[in-house]
Amino acid sequence: MTKVAEESGSDISDTGRIAHLRSHVPGELSMWFFVIGDLLIFGAYFIGYVYYRGQDPDLFLQSQARLNLDIGAINTVILLTSSLFVALGTSAARNDKVQEAIRLFGIAFALGVAFPVMKAFEYIPEVTAGVTPGTNLFFMYYFVMTGLHLCHVTLGLVILGFVIRSLRVSAKPRMSFVETAATYWHMVDLLWILLFALLYLMR
Amino acid sequence: MSDTVVTAPESASESAPGRPRNRKRDQWIAFWLVPIFFNIFGVVFVPLSWMMPPRPPSSPAPAVVEFMQSHNLLIACAILTLSFGLAPVSNAVYLIQIKRMSVSPVFRYSMMVGAMTGAIVGMLFPMFCFGLGAFRSGYEPSTLRMLYDFGYLAFIGSLGCFCVMWMAFGLAIILDKNNILPKWLGYYTVWQYVSELIAAPVWISKSGPFAWNGLMTFWFAMVLYVSWQIIVYVCIFRAIKNQPDHTLENAWLHRDAAPGGPRPKADA
Repeated sequence: MTKVAEESGSDISDTGRIAHLRSHVPGELSMWFFVIGDLLIFGAYFIGYVYYRGQDPDLFLQSQARLNLDIGAINTVILLTSSLFVALGTSAARNDKVQEAIRLFGIAFALGVAFPVMKAFEYIPEVTAGVTPGTNLFFMYYFVMTGLHLCHVTLGLVILGFVIRSLRVSAKPRMSFVETAATYWHMVDLLWILLFALLYLMR
Repeated sequence: MSDTVVTAPESASESAPGRPRNRKRDQWIAFWLVPIFFNIFGVVFVPLSWMMPPRPPSSPAPAVVEFMQSHNLLIACAILTLSFGLAPVSNAVYLIQIKRMSVSPVFRYSMMVGAMTGAIVGMLFPMFCFGLGAFRSGYEPSTLRMLYDFGYLAFIGSLGCFCVMWMAFGLAIILDKNNILPKWLGYYTVWQYVSELIAAPVWISKSGPFAWNGLMTFWFAMVLYVSWQIIVYVCIFRAIKNQPDHTLENAWLHRDAAPGGPRPKADA
């Protein structure tokens, strides 16, 4: 995120501001506390998952083969692209290009909305085919972890909505809020990549 | 459980000399009842009855019967019956702080009702279930088994009420502009309520990491919860200590020459 800002915001007249951006942590510190803690908590869950997977690798592999890898991959691309637009939007907001920032955050938001929609296309056929959290430990992990991640996505969409509103309302963007939101959205993205690797791909 | 709270410095009682000494005495009484309450809880649940850490959901029938009719469980339930009234007091200290925040009263009321319903399901239900087993002999083993399941599921699976309660608390801290409690505590509270949600699978799993004594649903949640509970009380302690006397809700009581005499409280 900072990198994008540094590259695109290389107006020579703006060097003082860029130097300031380099020296500070993007967003509010409390959000970084949340991000690091959240990653640690998910990390503990992942270690638990890998441990129980090691207890019964066959069951986990067989169950894993029943997941819809295509939708998982599409969702990964959706979230990564959304994250890219959030980074571009943050960069635009930093350079006071508010209209462009609103457009970029709008695209990021729309992609974010596509994620739960695709997830529904994944969940509903599974549940109607009788695959539920009660099926076995793998699917319990699968539904709990992806469900937890979906909560994060939903919260992220609410936050992105507030960013778009704040950009619309004031001519001068509140950078700390935009950066805080972007930090959170990147974390959601990172968590999904880890989840996708652990649940869908790990052999 | 609340050792760090106990080691916190003395209250500000000696700060104001003369007759009107400590205007926060009510809050401090409520506050110090909390560690007492949690220590009673800790003693009752862990070394006295060994109700916690939770016994396995798949315990054989004789083990369930022995536990449900044990003497120690009876004593534990008797102590709980006498002391569970302290729970509302412990919630009062949160509500006083949340009232000072620049947020909608919806948060305060949600928290209040969440705490009440949570205490009924999460504390009274298990107390009745285990108490029935301990005080009334002569139940069939299958009935005792049901009470055992009911008690533990109510205790660990009563997520909804507590979830809404802590969600209201966490969001209020994050949205508050008066900085009554630190922002990071709001985020910490978010993890705490999410860990309550993770307890949902205890209704499905009977063994493994998602059972009521499992790694994911109990142990991870417990580590988060206990550390959170201690930290939140340290933060509440500082919030009470830092509040200027004239902003107290009952400050009008102490105004010596209040025009028009004592006035009734504006709101609850």
